[in-house]
Amino acid sequence: MEITFAWVAAAFYALGVAYAYSEARRSRPHLPRKALGALGVGLLAHAISIASLAIVTRRFPVADIHTALSFFAFLLIIAFFLAYWRYRAPSLGLFMLPLVLLVTVISALRPDRTFESPAFRSGWLWAHVAASILGYAGFSITFAAAVMYLLQERQLKSRRPRGFYYRLPPLETCERIYYGSLLFGFPFLSAGLIMGFVDASREWHGAWEFDPKILASVLTWIVYLVLFSAYLSGIWRGRRAAYVAIFAFAILMVTFLGVSFVSGQHGYFPKLGNIP
Amino acid sequence: MNLFLLGMNHRTAPIEVRERMNIAEAHLSAALTDLTRRDGILEGLILSTCNRVEVSASAEEGVDAEPVVRAFLADHHHCDLSAYERYFYAYRQHDVIAHLFRVASSLDSMIVGEPQILGQVKRAYEQARSAGALNGELHEVLLHTFFVAKRVRRETLVGASAVSVSYAAVELARKIFGDLKGKVIYVIGAGKMSELAAKHLLSSGARAVFVSHQVHGRAESLAALFKGSAIHYEDLFSTLHQADIVISSTASSEFVIRREQAERALAARKHRPVFFIDIGVPRNIDPSINTLDNAFLYDIDDLGQVVEANKKQREREAVWAEAIVQEEVQKMMRRIASRDLVPTIVALERQFEGIRESELQRFHGRLSSLNQEQMRAVDALTRGMLNKILHGPITELKNAVGAPEHGALVQLIRKIFGVAE
Repeated sequence: MEITFAWVAAAFYALGVAYAYSEARRSRPHLPRKALGALGVGLLAHAISIASLAIVTRRFPVADIHTALSFFAFLLIIAFFLAYWRYRAPSLGLFMLPLVLLVTVISALRPDRTFESPAFRSGWLWAHVAASILGYAGFSITFAAAVMYLLQERQLKSRRPRGFYYRLPPLETCERIYYGSLLFGFPFLSAGLIMGFVDASREWHGAWEFDPKILASVLTWIVYLVLFSAYLSGIWRGRRAAYVAIFAFAILMVTFLGVSFVSGQHGYFPKLGNIP
Repeated sequence: MNLFLLGMNHRTAPIEVRERMNIAEAHLSAALTDLTRRDGILEGLILSTCNRVEVSASAEEGVDAEPVVRAFLADHHHCDLSAYERYFYAYRQHDVIAHLFRVASSLDSMIVGEPQILGQVKRAYEQARSAGALNGELHEVLLHTFFVAKRVRRETLVGASAVSVSYAAVELARKIFGDLKGKVIYVIGAGKMSELAAKHLLSSGARAVFVSHQVHGRAESLAALFKGSAIHYEDLFSTLHQADIVISSTASSEFVIRREQAERALAARKHRPVFFIDIGVPRNIDPSINTLDNAFLYDIDDLGQVVEANKKQREREAVWAEAIVQEEVQKMMRRIASRDLVPTIVALERQFEGIRESELQRFHGRLSSLNQEQMRAVDALTRGMLNKILHGPITELKNAVGAPEHGALVQLIRKIFGVAE
């Protein structure tokens, strides 16, 4: 059932994206109501999909790469709605929604019988996973805001305004979204990391510190720490901060997805699993 | 529905002709009374602005309003209209509705999206209303016109981007800072343009600091006028980091703000953005400052270019606005048509039923030999024939609802079947 509803969610997201883009040439200050409606229905279906998985398996509904992506997309669209209402920037949707759709579709392409890591028997692990993915969702918005900032900044610097100038929000709004999402994402990423350490030190045997995913996560966290403090101190602002945010997001995605293929404990896949 | 509009605007007629045809506000009431008293004319509206003169009227069905309206204009101006023939445009029926919608939505204006026209249409409407010249379909169309204009404003940005240099500066500032409340503007030197830009910025909630060589001169009087403060030129660079927006228009032949000074100010304000507006000729601010991160420099030519781009943007938005107008014309036509439709269908059916009944009456004697069942069959037969005959025209009428030719079709069908008005 959870896969059916994931597909239903994907279909409605696709509809929402189509509606949003159909009016994208228009610089109207709102997303079309039809688009928001379709996205809302998609969100509902997505929630049912995740909830039904949780009820059937009687655990936190993230256990492998597909369910992790599904949860990520779910948080991403919630984050989109919150940011949309808070900052009234429909253009944010044009950058984020295709990502939501893509991630949802990938997550729905899952095998019927999901691999379940015994590690999830640990009572704490779900909190580590949830906090990490919440952090990822926050930083995805940071990424979108950084891209928007760069596009708008280029328009303003060129002194020859074209399409993006009229559609994108003011630089200051981009910065507020950027900073707000950074402020949201960073504590979750940190908490996720710390809970992961605690869990690994208790459950894993051997040199868990050298697991590729843990190393990558620490690196990502450091990049975001630098970005966060540089922003606060005013050393990096505007364009430079935006570039670093895009770079940081690339590392984050590699950590989230790429490293899972080589990491033993974070393999998500049974054949790579090396569970003690 | 029988609507007609005769008019000329800035595109079809030169200013001398528009002046000649202009109907002064003082004479409007009398003119409207004159117009609506003429044969066949039910309602009238006169829109007379510096860019257009338009007379709209609704007339009785079957009356051609054109010669009446022409005669009215000729009489009013005591002239022969044939000399001005080529300057006029004339619209009928749904084209009148579309034109009124376009005019009120500022799609027919010299500067697309300019806001005054809606007010002018509203004033024309009020004058016509108080002169008792609006009480039917034209009135209804006008009420919907205001709705359409509002919808266009709400759903498109046709009037949103600035088409004057000083407003363009304000808009750019908004694109950088979002809200301008509490932002500090440094106005260096005085001039008409910088004063104007400062005034617009201040009305958005910014605060001004005036800088000049003699504090006790122009800067202080400007500061008093705009509720700002004044500083001496020597203090400019020690406080420049406070400025979010810098407007410069001095007659200096050297750069007033050089690159290093901008760099220092940016560092001191932790690289929060600064918007430099250089209105001076020769330029007051080193153009290379635009290459600094978080500094945005526009000179007078750049602002002009933004205005040009904004005009193009308005034209692009106008495409969406036109689509809204078309949609609303369809809606209006459907509404009017469906109202015309029901009485026509009822009249048609009544007409045919009358014929059937009188024919049955006529043959009553010859049919008296039939028994009750046969009589019922004759009744059903004749009724069925009528329904079959009427099915075609009624379906056509219903299908044409909302189409431009609907009114003509209603007239035609009424005429063919001899249905009275």
